[in-house]
Amino acid sequence: MNGLVRRVGLSLLGPVLAVLVALVISAAVIALIGEDPVAAFRVMVDLGDSPSQQVQSIVVILNRAVPLFLAGLAVAVAFRMGLFNIGVEGQYRLATILAAAVGAAVVLPGPLHVLLVVVVAMVVGASWAGIVGVLKVTRGVSEVISSIMLNFIALGLASFLLTGPLRGSPPGASIVTTAEIPESGRVPSLNGVLTALGLATPRSGLYGFLLVALVVGVVVAVLLKRTRFGFDLRATGLSPSAATASGVDARGMVVKTMLISGGIAGLIGLPDLLGAQYDYGTEFTAGLGFLGIAVALLGRSTPLGIALAALLFAFLDRAALPLQFADIPSSVVTIIQGTIVLAVVVANEIARRLALRSAERAGAAAGPGPQADGDDGVPPPTAPDGGQRVHTGVPGDQQGVQA
Amino acid sequence: MAPADSPADGSAAGDVPLAVELRGITKRFPGVVANKDIELRVRRGEVHAIVGENGAGKSTLMKTLYGEHRPDEGEILIDGRPVQFRSPSDAIAAGIGMVHQHFMLADNFTVLENVILGSEPTRHGRLDRAAARRRIEEISERYDLGLQPDALVEDLGVGDRQRVEIAKVLYRDARILILDEPTAVLVPQEVDELFGNLAELKREGLTVIFISHKLDEVRRVADSITVIRRGTTVGTADPRTTTAKQLAELMVGAELPTPETRESTVRETPVLQLVGVTVTDGGQRPVVDDVTLTVREGEVVGIAGVEGNGQAELVDAIMGLRPLAAGSVLLGGEDVTAWSTRARREAGVGFIPEDRHRQGMLLDAPLWENRILGHQTRPPAVKGPFIDRRGARADTARIMREYDVRAPGPDTLAVALSGGNQQKLIVGREMSARPRLLVAAHPTRGVDVGAQAVIWELLKDARAEGLGIVLISADLDELIGLSDTLHVMLRGRLVATLDPRRVTPEELGGHMTGARTAGAA
Repeated sequence: MNGLVRRVGLSLLGPVLAVLVALVISAAVIALIGEDPVAAFRVMVDLGDSPSQQVQSIVVILNRAVPLFLAGLAVAVAFRMGLFNIGVEGQYRLATILAAAVGAAVVLPGPLHVLLVVVVAMVVGASWAGIVGVLKVTRGVSEVISSIMLNFIALGLASFLLTGPLRGSPPGASIVTTAEIPESGRVPSLNGVLTALGLATPRSGLYGFLLVALVVGVVVAVLLKRTRFGFDLRATGLSPSAATASGVDARGMVVKTMLISGGIAGLIGLPDLLGAQYDYGTEFTAGLGFLGIAVALLGRSTPLGIALAALLFAFLDRAALPLQFADIPSSVVTIIQGTIVLAVVVANEIARRLALRSAERAGAAAGPGPQADGDDGVPPPTAPDGGQRVHTGVPGDQQGVQA
Repeated sequence: MAPADSPADGSAAGDVPLAVELRGITKRFPGVVANKDIELRVRRGEVHAIVGENGAGKSTLMKTLYGEHRPDEGEILIDGRPVQFRSPSDAIAAGIGMVHQHFMLADNFTVLENVILGSEPTRHGRLDRAAARRRIEEISERYDLGLQPDALVEDLGVGDRQRVEIAKVLYRDARILILDEPTAVLVPQEVDELFGNLAELKREGLTVIFISHKLDEVRRVADSITVIRRGTTVGTADPRTTTAKQLAELMVGAELPTPETRESTVRETPVLQLVGVTVTDGGQRPVVDDVTLTVREGEVVGIAGVEGNGQAELVDAIMGLRPLAAGSVLLGGEDVTAWSTRARREAGVGFIPEDRHRQGMLLDAPLWENRILGHQTRPPAVKGPFIDRRGARADTARIMREYDVRAPGPDTLAVALSGGNQQKLIVGREMSARPRLLVAAHPTRGVDVGAQAVIWELLKDARAEGLGIVLISADLDELIGLSDTLHVMLRGRLVATLDPRRVTPEELGGHMTGARTAGAA
């Protein structure tokens, strides 16, 4: 039990430390630009005066958290296998525009229509990410390089499609968009649930896609933690050579993992697309793929952690507007998010070392006395025919890992 | 550091105070005692060896002495005066230096830069290279280290790197040197050179504490020996009057077994047949060249050879980790040449890899996940597509019990275990799947005497039950003792088949090097 508490404590230590450090640094920066940090933080945590304002704030946070959560998951799945999918940005942008175009082009009964859009988005995201995986296993191209490069291609391609073949807005309109998705392809809001709970009705609708995101989160959690596939994936991330020797097909795993990561990435744009925008345009939310990397880092690549990290980032994003009303530069939010990412990298490393040290201690301790009852451990079994053998150990041994 | 009232009471031995004296050192970690009532007395100007099994508590003790953590009980006396180290810098200030087993050198720096790193001499705020060079040359001269201050460390061999580490410590005016398993990474000639250096250090009046579990070396170099077992000092020995066997028995606390198998258990049915197996190194050069051999039930087939003669590639070929250029692999009469590694493992091939950290374990994962590794498709660790966490934990606990893996529990991270315990877990894991064929590459490498004995017993028992074993080892006694059939591998080919009952290690060594010199690896 004690060990469990310590392990949970250690895994929380990194992120909590990072957030605290980020707050201190941000406070210093706010003070430096001549504003009052306490006032700024007060504005950020103030969700509004009336109940309806507060509910509205919470809905805004949740609506922002849903895509961030999906983005974090997409990055984390690859992380867990030791792959750095920086291409999430391009994957979701391309997936969203194509899904928007397909959604607008057809008319189907409600659920089917939404399902089609979701499937198209996932397939496009997965295929785009799959290119990275195939390049890695066939040509040995680093996934970092190829996914960054594919981001540029995806963004360029999306712009071309938007202004060219998939353009739906009238010529001369200031904002170029695809055609609007009809009613049957939209995901209804969850505001009914809020009112049923006795809360005030917010101005904007709570994304119904929240439920999809929750399902995806649970599926990813189960997949990683409880399935053989997840075990193979994590084993490959921990030690590719050991995983291969255990029978994991490393090349296949790279492609499969990139497909899953890209499939989830394809979903990132859908909460906004199907819940509020109904079309993809030049103003469509950008940057979620990169924020996803930060969210995944902060959440230590576990679904629960990513959910918390996404909520935190969404909370910070919401604060941008009230800060401007209070005449405090809203870039404070960006500064906090940036310092969190920097701090979390450092803090995760510190936490990792602490965990390693505590494991080492447990091991050093386990040597002499394995059982709680002291040093009456099982004596090494020996044969009575004791010969002249004393030749011991051979080079190459390490006693655990040196601190 | 607290100076004592008088240095005289620090040494009970005589007028010269002991260089290092530890009295009743106890170090506890949550739940367990790592060191208990350690008594150590090291005279000035001697080479003092500390021997013990892996995980006996040597490293914990040395960390205590080097100030990396504080003991819970007991006293440390340096030159007769009690001291308290809060950090390694306190220990360094007291004249203690540590040469780690794993070198801590910057490859892209020169020898000079590495030596002075962290205590750079300065003049007018600038690095004083001339002064540093004088110091280093003086040290090199005095202790016959043969350092070239301007050589890049990345161009140096292992032995030279070790001398740089020693120079680093001497540069900081250490009078007491701790060498942690210094010979583990050296080849025999380098070991001789190291021992030459140690003699120089001794002649200059320095004290050396030498940690090892290689008893032959310890007896060659040490002036006195302290044995640690299960966290406590169990005695001291005089290397001149103690045999290696007596020492080993002191270390293990029991009499030693031999690797010799008792009687032949070889049956008729072949489990593994290699026919003309050829593996190339990516280009055209064959690293395994036309190897044909048969392993029958209950048979141990040993492959002897100087390392790098194709044994590792042969193992890869059997496990399906490397494609064959020609030939076929038959498992129980079935052609498995095109099978994946996983399919072969499912068909009953167990694998004890040569490098357990690289191929055998997930160091950052708990033991129960390591139990699953390599057995992802079979019970008790999995149910259908899902991991059976409870089953895996329970079976890990059983392996720990039956195979004497000393660790707090199945949730311990593998990295926390000593090498011997990790290896016992691997052996237990592979045996638990009831394999038909076991590929064992250096199964007792880097493992202490106690664990070695356990592993030999396990292999012998499994063989008696009909397991076929391919044994690759650099330990000739182990090969001769365990094998029923012995092949010699040279430059990728099987060049000789010997009868292990008649061959001597010298003869075997001769075959391994192409019948020129005896004794290899």
